[in-house]
Amino acid sequence: MAKSPLHPGLYDPTLEPPELNGTACAKCRSVFFPPITLGCEKCGAPPDQLQATSIAAKGSLHSIATVHMHGGKDMQAPFTIAEVQLDDGPLIRAVMSGPATAADIGSRVRAEWASLGTAEETEEKVEPRFTIILEGDSA
Amino acid sequence: MTRSLSELRPVYVVGIGLHPYQRPGETPYTALGVQAIRQALGDAGLDWSAVQSAYTGTATTAMGLSRLMYRHLGATGIPMAQVENASASGSTAFRQACIDVAAGLTHVSIAVGVDKPLQGSMPQRAAGIKDLGGQRVAPFTHFALLANRYIYEHGATPEQFGMIAVKNARNGALNPNAQRQKPRTLDEVMAPPQISGPLTRLQCCPVGEGAAAVIVASEDGIKAFGLDRSRAVRVLSSASRSEAVYDGENFDVALTVETTGMALKDAGVAASDLDLVELHDAFTVEEMLYIEAMGLAPKGQAAAQIAEGQFDIGGRVAVSASGGLLSMGHPIGPTGAGQICELTAQLRGEGGPRQHKGARLGLAHMVGIGAVCVAHVLAAPE
Repeated sequence: MAKSPLHPGLYDPTLEPPELNGTACAKCRSVFFPPITLGCEKCGAPPDQLQATSIAAKGSLHSIATVHMHGGKDMQAPFTIAEVQLDDGPLIRAVMSGPATAADIGSRVRAEWASLGTAEETEEKVEPRFTIILEGDSA
Repeated sequence: MTRSLSELRPVYVVGIGLHPYQRPGETPYTALGVQAIRQALGDAGLDWSAVQSAYTGTATTAMGLSRLMYRHLGATGIPMAQVENASASGSTAFRQACIDVAAGLTHVSIAVGVDKPLQGSMPQRAAGIKDLGGQRVAPFTHFALLANRYIYEHGATPEQFGMIAVKNARNGALNPNAQRQKPRTLDEVMAPPQISGPLTRLQCCPVGEGAAAVIVASEDGIKAFGLDRSRAVRVLSSASRSEAVYDGENFDVALTVETTGMALKDAGVAASDLDLVELHDAFTVEEMLYIEAMGLAPKGQAAAQIAEGQFDIGGRVAVSASGGLLSMGHPIGPTGAGQICELTAQLRGEGGPRQHKGARLGLAHMVGIGAVCVAHVLAAPE
């Protein structure tokens, strides 16, 4: 079944392991996610200095919060949001796929593809969610 | 050469007024605002005809709402404009009114915060920005992440966050303009519903409706209209900053360090000189973070000092004497102007049952989505 991204433009759902589409500034070397196209947030360099860059979806768990109240229909509470300090620079927020608590802050984490159910018979919506890297995990 | 507000003409708060913050209801925003304005005019002893410019801090009500409200005081043709700066809208309206007076553009100006929660949208949507968290990371989750990080770094407990809500509920119970006027025990604060991370419902501010009005005047204005100098509260400084790139450091904290640092420096005072602080305690964890960011407590020690009562009314420095956003409420536009009302009443010695005795110096602080931060330092009448 074909995989389609929940967030078009932010990642390629066919890559294994997951990577994120970021932006690198050729002038100040800053790396951003989500990608920026209109100018560099750090130094103001114009679009011709901004380059698409692939960011490894792994890093360390900076913080975590289990959400108990959520008004949106996209996801049912409770679910857990991770704040991840990516090895490649950006501090990002994404959904945590496995069980985790505040005691796991500081742990190494990596993204894995999570399926959000079948939108149509031919298509599977996916997004990267983070999970704690266990000892012996090669990723 | 540029100058800070403190180097221009002196600015004084001469009139304050509030419409109580309350649950959203049927009251038109015009009625909320006019009540606060009339109260501020009465407090100052001024007629509306004396007011030469008006700034309305508002974010969630409607486009171009100023004149429809001010006309009920008599349409004098003065310049007026809406100031939208998210949670810091009222603070920014106040800053603009101060700038008019300080620059000599006016002798008397007014800042009014007014809002009803009728509309709200995030700029990311209009900018077409997507991120992995999206709407699953609501503001309360942003702060829940900060709370768990603080617990990780400093070994704090969820109950220590809860104690902030207990303190601010105790203050709010003494404030007839507060949306939440019930004192709360720690058990009540920690009781479900759990919202996000360690935050329970009573650790999140209520967003309702209300209004706050602040009239500022120059020395010439005070003389010309024969205003009571013994009740005029000097605006020592005004600082306003926006988010930079901080390489991992939390932006609310980094912005608060920078902006309150500027406000204190321009006022020529130290954090340890402050008697009163009204800060952006939309969520309990914020009060802990900002107390430390402002230099009122060393990093990691705010919780212990809160437990000791150092930030109570009557303590070392009264933080959120009004009840703060947690108890007085956070109707968005009014909130920053309402902080100035609280500081002014306290610095005049008119704080009633909430009076922090001997208060001479106060700081008001708001952060807003964007992110932005605005801070003012006010001094008691000579």
